[in-house]
Amino acid sequence: MAILEEPIKEVEKLKNYINGEWVESKSDEILDIVNPATQKVISKVPMSTADEVNEAITAAKEAYPEWRETTPLARVRCLFRLKELLEENFEQLSRVQTQEHGKTIDESRGETRRGIEMVEVATGIPSLMMGYNLEDIATGIDEYVIYQPLGAFGHIAPFNFPFMVPLWFSPFAMATGNTFVVKPSPRDPISQVKIAELVDEAGIPPGVYNVVHGGAEAASILIEHQDIKGITFVGSTKVGKDIYKKCGEVGKRVIAQTSAKNFMVVMPDADMAGTIPALMTSFFGNSGQRCLSGANLVIVGKDDSFYNKVLDAFVDTASKIRVGYGLDESIQMGPMQSIDGKERALGYIEKGIAEGGKLLLDGRKADIIGDYPDTCFVGPTIFSDIKPEMTIAREEIFGPVASVMRAKDLNEAIEIANRSNFGNANAIFTASGKSAREFQYRIETGNIGINIGIVAPMAFFPFSGMKDSFFGVLHGQGKDVIRFFTESKVVIQRWL
Amino acid sequence: MKLNTASEVISFTKKLEEQSATFYKELSQRYVINEDIFLSFVKENKKNIIQVERAYYGVISDALEGCFAFNVDTDEYPLTTELSEKADYSEALERAIDIVKFYLDAAEQSKSLMADVPRAFKIIAKKRENNRKIALKSLLRKEE
Repeated sequence: MAILEEPIKEVEKLKNYINGEWVESKSDEILDIVNPATQKVISKVPMSTADEVNEAITAAKEAYPEWRETTPLARVRCLFRLKELLEENFEQLSRVQTQEHGKTIDESRGETRRGIEMVEVATGIPSLMMGYNLEDIATGIDEYVIYQPLGAFGHIAPFNFPFMVPLWFSPFAMATGNTFVVKPSPRDPISQVKIAELVDEAGIPPGVYNVVHGGAEAASILIEHQDIKGITFVGSTKVGKDIYKKCGEVGKRVIAQTSAKNFMVVMPDADMAGTIPALMTSFFGNSGQRCLSGANLVIVGKDDSFYNKVLDAFVDTASKIRVGYGLDESIQMGPMQSIDGKERALGYIEKGIAEGGKLLLDGRKADIIGDYPDTCFVGPTIFSDIKPEMTIAREEIFGPVASVMRAKDLNEAIEIANRSNFGNANAIFTASGKSAREFQYRIETGNIGINIGIVAPMAFFPFSGMKDSFFGVLHGQGKDVIRFFTESKVVIQRWL
Repeated sequence: MKLNTASEVISFTKKLEEQSATFYKELSQRYVINEDIFLSFVKENKKNIIQVERAYYGVISDALEGCFAFNVDTDEYPLTTELSEKADYSEALERAIDIVKFYLDAAEQSKSLMADVPRAFKIIAKKRENNRKIALKSLLRKEE
């Protein structure tokens, strides 16, 4: 199968997008952006200076009053234009993600579609942002609620979904009349530059949407700046908890969607033909680098033959996964996004062996399709005989490493899963409505899959999460995020 | 060749439809008497590509099993579209009654995994089975 054409052909230094202008950073600190599959440098990104981050925040602050007064209809017309431009550039945007992140082209297209869906839902703001009222709360007195935007918001983006995750927030922020500053991950910031180009083309006024490159220092400025009304963050629990604390101290709003350790529970009555592909996507899709990835596979039942049947099918199918460069359409799993990510995964594999896990499929030396350096590649890896207290069963690996454990019944499976510090996305595979309902009722997780391996809520539902997987009150997406980006005012009126 | 990813299967579908369109275009030029029928097939081939791509790009999502939804062996679906100069009309029509098996198999494999994509495959299979095959067989009968 031929390799699809790469859209990024020349190495360019990325610019910041501030107040509707492309601004070159004065920073001397420039990082290479490397295609993790080919190891070729495809772009360069500046670690913007503090002044540059402040300029972006000032631009967002100054654009706010006029944008707020722009009618919701006029605001969403900008988003309709943006949606059309995203559709027109769908394939190019998808291939950029594969080039800078490493995911397969199917996964990148999936990410693009998900991102566009956020814009689509945000175009419903004239209806979604409406308040409510009641006449005659007392004779001749009426009461109503109105929702208003707050000002400039900041977003600190993760590396694992470089296109989609900022779109979980930015279209809703803009549609509700706020302004926005995105700080992309310095590992793969090109997708956000491409979105900013389309934002510009869509005619969204200067300062409403800004992109400023940088690392932890730029993020800190966004978090601490008094003109930023709230922060949205997707990343690790450690950082998310810290952001939550800092924002709480100064009364800022925050959505922090953080780490995960997700359990996939397979019941003896599960339909194996549908379950195995779902498990493949869940554990090994995006090379395990997502907060919705399966991490622990819990096979339920005392029956050894069922356990062996599931395990054999799981290992056999995983062993055939084609690993390579995601722009080859036949590839089912790409590399890890970075060397750091690979080393982290390898470290956990070593820990798993040291703690007594049985390594059934070893991905440390990946069998790569095509002539690519193995720098960032880790193949599908499966451990059996894992106990819930082992390190690899408890901590987030963020790589294609599956830990298989047994539970004698559903009750034990739920208890094992609920002992986790995390609560992002757990799933059950079963043909029994009773089992599914019990799982849904008792499992401590924000997103629940029933015969679904990747529990990714659609744009019109909140992306939930609990325990150490979420810090905040309102979630991203859906009605929650609209409420997050608006303040309610209650008016009680009497005309004499 | 084995195809497992949705992207591969969509590309293969496109190739099949393009080859088929080229073949009918040639038939329309060679057998002008039935030009309208053959050109309608060409039009339908192009529409099929749009329909399948629209379904795929419309539903492809990281929550679906895009990389693991298929197990298609392309060797099972040969589409010979070359027609020798010596081929007579009957032979050409026989060749033209092409396969629907690919679409049915692809739809079956992905039926619970790829949302609207299997439905698009089924619609094409149905059109080929119910309309195209019947039209071609009718032409063949007339020829006999």
